[in-house]
Amino acid sequence: MRRFLETGNFAITEGAILAGCRFFCGYPITPATELAEAMSLRLPQVGGVYLQAEDECAAMHLCIGASLGGMKSMTATSGPGFILYADPYGWALGCETPMVVLNSGRVGPVSGITGAPGQGEFYLTRYPTQGGNFETVVLAPNSAQESMKVVVDAFYLSERLRMPITVLADQLITDGMEDISVPETEQEMKEMGFRLWPRSYHRGPDFYPATDALDIPPVQMGHNTGALCSDWTPTEEGYDIEEVEAHHKHAYRLIYKVRNNRHLFSDMHEKRHMGDDPDLVVVSFGTPSRVVNTAVDRARAEGLKVGALRLINLWPFPDELFRRRTTYLVVELNWDGQLVREVQRAAAEGSKVHFLGVCGDLPTIPDLMETFTKLLKNQPLSRKGWELEAW
Amino acid sequence: MAYASSVLVDKYLRTRKIPSTACSGCGLGMNHKIIVQAIAELGLKTQDIIWGTSIGCAGRQTFGTWKGDGFAGTHGRVYAIARGLRVALPPEKKLILTVGDGDAFGIGLLHLIHCARSNAAMTVVVNDNLGYQSTGGQFGFTTPQGAKTDSSPYGMFEHNLMSEGMDVLDILKAAGATFLARHVAMEGQAVVETLKKAIANPGFSLVHMPYPCPTNFGARHLGSRVQVNIYNWIKDHAAPMGQEKPDTIWRTGIYHDARGARPEFSEHVWEAVNRIRRTGRL
Repeated sequence: MRRFLETGNFAITEGAILAGCRFFCGYPITPATELAEAMSLRLPQVGGVYLQAEDECAAMHLCIGASLGGMKSMTATSGPGFILYADPYGWALGCETPMVVLNSGRVGPVSGITGAPGQGEFYLTRYPTQGGNFETVVLAPNSAQESMKVVVDAFYLSERLRMPITVLADQLITDGMEDISVPETEQEMKEMGFRLWPRSYHRGPDFYPATDALDIPPVQMGHNTGALCSDWTPTEEGYDIEEVEAHHKHAYRLIYKVRNNRHLFSDMHEKRHMGDDPDLVVVSFGTPSRVVNTAVDRARAEGLKVGALRLINLWPFPDELFRRRTTYLVVELNWDGQLVREVQRAAAEGSKVHFLGVCGDLPTIPDLMETFTKLLKNQPLSRKGWELEAW
Repeated sequence: MAYASSVLVDKYLRTRKIPSTACSGCGLGMNHKIIVQAIAELGLKTQDIIWGTSIGCAGRQTFGTWKGDGFAGTHGRVYAIARGLRVALPPEKKLILTVGDGDAFGIGLLHLIHCARSNAAMTVVVNDNLGYQSTGGQFGFTTPQGAKTDSSPYGMFEHNLMSEGMDVLDILKAAGATFLARHVAMEGQAVVETLKKAIANPGFSLVHMPYPCPTNFGARHLGSRVQVNIYNWIKDHAAPMGQEKPDTIWRTGIYHDARGARPEFSEHVWEAVNRIRRTGRL
């Protein structure tokens, strides 16, 4: 085990390399630039290729190409670049091309504030492309160390589910410096819970079967298997076809290979002080969860029955974690409220769901403590006019 | 030697998509046959080539026709996919892309230029039906000046990428392409010979091949869907370089032949990676 005081970008790079990533293509954008830089330094040292594309749309398409040729590949960006992934993300979902996509959130819409953390792409990562008829898998770490494991998991899932996987981080995770342990042996990786899966290729001819089965090897070019993949509705052999029934079969696979195999990632969440049916459950993901955890620890020390639920697996949304009727407070780095909508939908009937939005900065512990206290006393959350809680 | 179509089909093409869903009288089949003919004359086998296609008439009609492996990109993106694939493929595998004019010279031009810049080994055959015909017939960036289309009812008056001094082939030459040519299918064996050079080039090749669309372009611009009219119109407006007439639209022949003059993209990248891995420096 090697230990470093380094950024999340460093941890993500090392995680990707441990997972077998040998192709990274990106485009400079704050705050994902340092990840591209770290990849450009490290990948050639392990026999991998770093390329800088003409834009983010091309970057993800180059990753598609490399993955079609058998290389585990990855790209990373921030919100304004993630929006340019819409085209290749759809292609990779439809053709079931494994790869890992990292989005380090900043403050939007559009370019917004480049150097501050935001969580405005909770829904965009669920629907990164048009057309519907697919599921996506999105994972959100809350520390540099965890981002390494999450990236390894993302590569693992991308191979087994045969699809792109998104890691949703934010500026504080990718740029923040923390104590990081990098495993050096397979034993150490196993002890740290790293899951690995090798790349293989499909031998055909049923490249796109209508099944929810795991572990169907990806379609690859260059083995003369007669492999076909395209942006059109495929037959099982990969021919383009304009038939609704064929599309239904294809969509069935894209949706249910994820929905029916949620056991692969459904344990990816953290519960804190949740053993005694707390009166208030604070829900968050990513960096704000670090502050939430501290605030909840403090609330417990003061005798408040508060628990924290931190999501790592964001999509498909883990509805089962919200079956208990209680009061939920959703803390996220945006002012419009995104995660809170899903919690409202999933929460057991009769639950109360509240929202605390902060953006470009983190919530403070005094603010959180005050909010906990008021909610537990059934007092209204007093805010200034432009801060009124819409939920 | 010229091969009969049936021989080429047996050896290289899948029968599933024959007959294609192309309109009656479409000229794309001539271009397609010329490409396969060049492949046959080079003695290449199905496993030697990975075939990429674009969107639109040219892409959709040629997708899934090659007996070996094939892929199709969305609008304008097949070049970026191909450039990533180039890195992962062994250098002896050849990439051939059959694409359309809108895809290559409109939505995909940025990606195409970066393929030329990096001299990524692939042969891009731009099958130009003089506009966006699969969407019903709108003008594109190589639609001849004055042509009437569904979106240029008064005649195409925008500057196109065929004008003097702003020919798309000049742009690609300046960007670093190592083989560039323009032909119409009616030129027969000369086109096959050019394509053989393009495919053999260990770098980025592009061959621009206008072809007749009787259904939309012919109907709108010439007022007739009679196939022979649009065939003759294209033939009459094409001439080999040096033999141009005042009304020549397409100057045909090899524009630029710098095969082997620059390192190929993936070989260049892998050489650098291997050197850094070995020595820690470039």
